Amino acid sequence: MSDIDENDELSGDEVLAAEYALGVLTGIERAAAERRIARDRSFADLVVAWNERLSPWAAEIVEVTPPPQVWERIAAALPVEPQRRVGLWQSLALWRGLAAGGVLAAACLAAFLYFGALDQSAPMIAAIEGGGHRIFVATVDAKRGTIAVVPADYAANATPGRVPELWLIPAGGKPLPVGLLSADRTVVLALPPALAEKADPHAVLAVSLEPPGGSTTGRPTGPVIGSGGLTNL
Amino acid sequence: MDIESNRKLLAQALVRVANGDRTALQTVYRLTSTKLFAVCLRILGERAEAEDTLQEVYMTVWRKAGQFAPGMSSPMSWLIAIARNRAIDQLRGSGQRRSMDPIEVAAELPDDAPMADSTLQSVQEQARLQTCLDGLAGHERAALRGAFFDGNTYEELAERMNVPLGTMKSWIRRAMSKLKKCLGP
Repeated sequence: MSDIDENDELSGDEVLAAEYALGVLTGIERAAAERRIARDRSFADLVVAWNERLSPWAAEIVEVTPPPQVWERIAAALPVEPQRRVGLWQSLALWRGLAAGGVLAAACLAAFLYFGALDQSAPMIAAIEGGGHRIFVATVDAKRGTIAVVPADYAANATPGRVPELWLIPAGGKPLPVGLLSADRTVVLALPPALAEKADPHAVLAVSLEPPGGSTTGRPTGPVIGSGGLTNL
Repeated sequence: MDIESNRKLLAQALVRVANGDRTALQTVYRLTSTKLFAVCLRILGERAEAEDTLQEVYMTVWRKAGQFAPGMSSPMSWLIAIARNRAIDQLRGSGQRRSMDPIEVAAELPDDAPMADSTLQSVQEQARLQTCLDGLAGHERAALRGAFFDGNTYEELAERMNVPLGTMKSWIRRAMSKLKKCLGP
């Protein structure tokens, strides 16, 4: 076993996150770690990373089938009414891993989904990915005729002097211009009925890089940097 | 079903659970309850308690599915962490201490056939972790094993391995530092 020097020691927060994930803390320390997870996102992320590192170890544990009454008890304890509205609101945490640094943007999308959900419409989402990055996340509300686009990892793909433009590509069709996006904030674009009716789970959203003001030809003129299919949320 | 399609199915089901879909929770249960029950049972050592805890695990999944971030976490890691935490809470709450037999480093054996499960967890991840665990000193690996599989605290591990508490803390911290370095960021 080789000695490790000071530079290899984990930071205080890393140690606490590792100890919590491993489960060696007791009482007050464990409760304190849980409070930090609830209010300190960067600490919570450290814990998630440690869970990721350690959990493959559980593969050693041979599976055991629980008795059927466990599921029956769970089913009986679930609320009868669907939690759709609350569920949509909560599911915003889903973007967290996607929209790195886009806290404000995620909040805007949260509000959008929240009010959208009150309207009983069924939003669709698309994760627009390219070059191994998730660059934008779009939420389409065809009924209300809006599309909200949150920048995720777009900055890595940004080209000076070019702007990102959003396109809707219907199944078997040509790209239709939707509007210009922002690198650093959520953009809510109107989706006219002609476009809204084509926004279904067979359609794809794509982003191209265009000159300031956008493409003037009605078709993408610059490189398509990412795309993603629409799915029902 | 292969691992990838199972993982995808599970991740999609979690998204639907976040949306209040009871059927999706049943899907999550069907895909994962044998593993999560085994995790609870391993930590708690007692069936009735493990069954109660398993129920709490899926109620937690129901409430917190919206916090699952697919970009940061694999669905199975997220679920195993919930199961371990609930089981550990139960263990600490019951005031009982279990699995307190002395740990003999030389006699350290895997819990069962390693890599026994490949339905939902990536074999590569398991192999990578195993390689890094193999790189630890025997006493470090034994201490981590007692914490991960038996839910032991620092104090319990120190007692089981008959070393002062401070020594145990530095063993674990050093082992975790080595693990992180070996596994990458």
